[in-house]
Amino acid sequence: MTAVAPAAFQQANIDYLAVLPLLIVFGAALVGVLVEAFVPRERRHTIQLTISVASLVLAFVAILFATKHQGLTFGYTDGATSRRLFALAIDGPALFMQGALVLMGVLGILIMAERFGGVGSDAFTASGASTPGSPIEAASARAGLITSEVFPLTLFAIGGMMLFPTVNDLIGMFIALEVLSLPLYILSGLARRRRLLSQEASLKYFLLGAFSSAFFLFGTALLYGYAGSVYFGDLSKAVSDTSLGLNGLLVAGAFLVFVGLLFKVGAVPFHAWTPDVYQGAPTPVTGFMAACTKAAAFGAILRLAYVGLDTASWQWQNAVIIVAVLTMIVGAVLSVTQTDMKRLLAYSSIAHAGFVLVGVLAFDQRGVSSVLFYVVAYGFSIIAAFGLVTLVRQDGGEATHLSQWAGLGKSHPVIAGTMAFLMLAFAGIPLTSGFVAKFAVFAAAIGTGGATGTVLVVIGAVCSAITVFVYARVIVLMFFSEPADDTVEVLVPSVGTTFAIAIGTLITFALGVVPSSLLDLADRASQFVR
Amino acid sequence: MTSTAEAVAFWILGPLAVLGALGLIFARKAVHAALGMALTMVTLGVFYLIEKADFLGVIQIFVYTGAVMMIFLFVIMLVGVDSSDSLLETIKGQRWWSFIFVIGLAGLLIFTLGQVTFDAKTVQAGMDRLVANNNATGNVTGIAEKIFGQYVWAFEVTSALLITAALGAMVLAHRERIVPKRTQAEWAARRVKENQDVAGLPAPGVYARHNAVDTPALLPDGRPAAKSVSRVLVARDQVARTDGYRDVERYIEREIEEGRQK
Amino acid sequence: MSEMSSVPWLTLLMVIPLVGSAVVAFLPGSAEQAKRIALGFSLVTLVLGVVAATQYKSGGTAQFQLAEQHAWIPQFGVSYALGVDGIALVLILMSLVLTPVCLLAAWHDVPEDIDGARRTKAYFALLLVLETFMVGVFAATDVFLFYVFFEAMLIPVYFLIGRFGGARRQYAAMKFLLFSLAGGLIMLVAVIALYLQGPGGADGFLIAKLTGLSLDPTTERLLWVGFFIAFAIKAPMVPVHTWLPDAATESTPATATLLVGVLDKVGTFGMIRFCLQLFPNASEWATPLVVVLAVISVLYGALLAIGQTDMMRLIAYTSISHFGFIVLGIFAVTNVAGAGASLYMLNHGFSTAALFLIAAMFIRRRGSKRIPDFGGWQRVTPGIAGAFLIAGLSTLALPGLSSFVSEFLVLVGTFGAHPVAAVLSCTAIILAALYILLWYKRVMTGPKPEGLTGVRDWSLREKWVAAPLIAFFIVIGLYPKPALDVINPAVDKTLSYVHTNAATVAEGSTK
Repeated sequence: MTAVAPAAFQQANIDYLAVLPLLIVFGAALVGVLVEAFVPRERRHTIQLTISVASLVLAFVAILFATKHQGLTFGYTDGATSRRLFALAIDGPALFMQGALVLMGVLGILIMAERFGGVGSDAFTASGASTPGSPIEAASARAGLITSEVFPLTLFAIGGMMLFPTVNDLIGMFIALEVLSLPLYILSGLARRRRLLSQEASLKYFLLGAFSSAFFLFGTALLYGYAGSVYFGDLSKAVSDTSLGLNGLLVAGAFLVFVGLLFKVGAVPFHAWTPDVYQGAPTPVTGFMAACTKAAAFGAILRLAYVGLDTASWQWQNAVIIVAVLTMIVGAVLSVTQTDMKRLLAYSSIAHAGFVLVGVLAFDQRGVSSVLFYVVAYGFSIIAAFGLVTLVRQDGGEATHLSQWAGLGKSHPVIAGTMAFLMLAFAGIPLTSGFVAKFAVFAAAIGTGGATGTVLVVIGAVCSAITVFVYARVIVLMFFSEPADDTVEVLVPSVGTTFAIAIGTLITFALGVVPSSLLDLADRASQFVR
Repeated sequence: MTSTAEAVAFWILGPLAVLGALGLIFARKAVHAALGMALTMVTLGVFYLIEKADFLGVIQIFVYTGAVMMIFLFVIMLVGVDSSDSLLETIKGQRWWSFIFVIGLAGLLIFTLGQVTFDAKTVQAGMDRLVANNNATGNVTGIAEKIFGQYVWAFEVTSALLITAALGAMVLAHRERIVPKRTQAEWAARRVKENQDVAGLPAPGVYARHNAVDTPALLPDGRPAAKSVSRVLVARDQVARTDGYRDVERYIEREIEEGRQK
Repeated sequence: MSEMSSVPWLTLLMVIPLVGSAVVAFLPGSAEQAKRIALGFSLVTLVLGVVAATQYKSGGTAQFQLAEQHAWIPQFGVSYALGVDGIALVLILMSLVLTPVCLLAAWHDVPEDIDGARRTKAYFALLLVLETFMVGVFAATDVFLFYVFFEAMLIPVYFLIGRFGGARRQYAAMKFLLFSLAGGLIMLVAVIALYLQGPGGADGFLIAKLTGLSLDPTTERLLWVGFFIAFAIKAPMVPVHTWLPDAATESTPATATLLVGVLDKVGTFGMIRFCLQLFPNASEWATPLVVVLAVISVLYGALLAIGQTDMMRLIAYTSISHFGFIVLGIFAVTNVAGAGASLYMLNHGFSTAALFLIAAMFIRRRGSKRIPDFGGWQRVTPGIAGAFLIAGLSTLALPGLSSFVSEFLVLVGTFGAHPVAAVLSCTAIILAALYILLWYKRVMTGPKPEGLTGVRDWSLREKWVAAPLIAFFIVIGLYPKPALDVINPAVDKTLSYVHTNAATVAEGSTK
């Protein structure tokens, strides 16, 4: 037997400055875990909050530096086959998404950290392990226990979300999906009030999320069987090179991988978890999830659609078009009958996911930039909206039923006014970021989508009109109705939450009136590296 | 392409793996389900070994069938072997609809994947590459080169998953002790002060043929003493009945009576 | 196509009311002070508007004057571009005059005991914001900017109706918003598609760039439909008119005046500026249908107005009828009819304002909107009765009052192109006489009503509300030349883009 010389071990080329943002976020999460272990309870909350916000700000600065180090990294080029085996693709869309996630993460954490004068975060239970309703639960709250583990968990989630649009292969995408999802499953179950609902939401999210990850992995295996490689570049090239006999693998694999990703954004028919999880999870976590998970997942969908499976788009395009139509319609129609504020916003987020999918289906650079703009505009608005929802209370618990919001315009005009403005932004009224975002997405779809694109946009316009009714009804309740009773109160938020809500609202207004700078940035950041 | 030995092994073990998976889903007792899963994992390990992925096959058996399945069995032991979930279906018609959708999805997948034809040469080339790698560097070294070279980022990020899982387990399952644990001296002092069960709770019953913790002791009038068994067992309705054990007693008593009367 | 102006008149006309509304809303102080400040800002805007109008030279070569243009969102091809032609200028001036009049009329609309000054300040601030958007929507020469103002102006009106309106205000406000937004969203699709048909680029949304495109007929017709549906809902035309009676009934008179008198003009203005100018062939193709709908609106509105017992609803139906006339004049596509339609828009604004505001005077005194509750009021409030008579006569287009000129021009101009339509619409003149005179008879004539004590005739404030309106009727009725001098060149220019032989039937003497 001829002796084959052992292949020399090839070390990966790592551009540390390009991955520095990710390393900072993950490192800060690890530091947060150590803080949990060693820091006495009184100082834990403040220290965790400081570490989280500071690390995210630092990560944002690192992202600015990383823009000069774009390219594929964390791998090497195989000498024999000259295949580029890199794990991460640091390019425009990836960095844009990372920046957006970091900034939205800061706002989300500020709202999560709201204490309302108490000992620990008001939204999170004192003892996550105690049975709801047991004396241990009450004793833990009295003893001043806190669940400050939420901060490192959130940082892990943000790290996973930053990673999700940046990976260059399917396995990395799967790992990023799990890294971002696991902390969210845990965070959803830690509400302070209505704990049974929260734990149910967490379990539902976990089970359905695990199923969708399994679908994703199944699809990955099939695509690997098709292309012989998990890297997106190889997958894209394989479509033209591979024989037609293996086509079944491509179709099934693409379909299953998309199922996994569409689950994360709440597209129909994979949306069943969204209303229950949004309603059961602690409200700051819901805001964080609605903004950041959607951004990360759409970044991943963009990469899969435009880099991995772009050459095979005619295989899966029609299925995704049907999904987009169903998502818009179901999200709009089902939000009409909702009576709970959090569920209403959940169904509206499903409708918005449908609109963004319309932008994804415009296979053009304009599609990418419009999606990037939309997730940023929507993310800041929804974080501010959920931040406002945390403030309205009745009998110590959150007042999320719509009837409890009646007459808020008279008693608390600033809160109601801000909420009304955010509702108008979701409805897509001009001079708000929601309108510019919808316009961008619709323009991209009509521009390059042809007749299908125009039909999608018409359906989108009709669904927008339906959602206007929903948001207008909230405004009617707040401003044109009498208050149901006097016991509904609005808590005064601390500096952090006020800052977060104010920034979210300001950005909603600014992006509606002078959106050109962000549009320009999104345009310049819409080129993928292969 | 596929050697005869490999084909035979696959067609015997494959259905076994499917049976194990079906057992996992449909078994009534938790332990049976766990064993079904173990069967599937072992057969998968065997498949990997057949495909010349030595390290993966052995690790599959060590880690999955060994460590993971043992953890499953530990959990079943802690939760209770007899415990089962309520199988009452609250959503109307969900069974039928899910059945229809599953059949639909399975049919779609089978139809799509069934049409796939593999090119014999490419498959063989891939196999040869693996064998060559095994011969050259050994299977373990080959995997090590991939993990620490090409896939080092994925490997390192997986650590975030493990840390999150550990942190989540702590948050969701670990109860911090708020009040210090009562020592035995404190229990005794409390009993004396309240004048209740000063001598301690009664011990479970001891009978000729049974003396486990699930049999209650008998009060002077013959009724079972509720305090002599753990209230967890009472709540789970797992307290044994004492009638059977007392039959022997009554039989002996009757014999003594008869003997005395003779 | 636009003559740039050195002084940004139009932006100033928008900014001043906006600043005024912020001041009124947030300045601490009494409600009375806030009202005076609001009135002051609106008067300043009016003066500025008149000064700006003097800078306008009718009959220039450029279509738009007093123009400004800056890049706003170059990625979408959107510019912040303003400019006026004759029609727009006239409508802007009308808005600027009607706003202080409405502010005066609304002086006591918000009862002060509820919630103190905050509600009053909100009310007046919303009216001023509405003025900003009204100017903006007429002055926009960029299609996207027009759309932004078109949608944005719905929000103040929504709050004005929903918060300060009558018993069924929630329903009326919601209906108004949903109808208008539905139309707006259909128009959005057409707007996007239009940009993509045009030359594109960073200023691709300018009207100048989008005029004269050679579009394939199906595309042009679809785009025309998209725009027309939105404008038909706004106008409103039968069959999408049902939001107007509810909205007019449930709003305060000042809101109703601005809604019907100015905002609805945006619909017909849009038909001229966009449907005719940008899609001339499609307009020609659709003319038969539009003419039919217009005639139906004319007759339907008039017939339903006759039987109404709720006065505000009656005025709403008369407006539907009048808007039918305007649309008829527009789509007759003759210079005479077009000029007539534009002048009609101006006249209708003032005559509807007069009807709403003067009717409001005696509605407030009686406490009821229903006609059966009145009778013989010319003996109770003779001044108001006189003003009401003049307003009513203007609505039915009595010769000598302004509306006659416009109605005559529309009918004469339409007769050449669509004689049947013109004849049918003439019958509406008789119906108009019916509904106005019957209304006057039932309310004003008859024996003096019992039990009405302490009802005074109009106050000085109310006289100031009615005076400008009545003055307008009489002046323009006798001497319409200034208005027509401004309107005619603009209409000619717009129709020059329409590729039909402008059947210039009897250029009626307009002296």
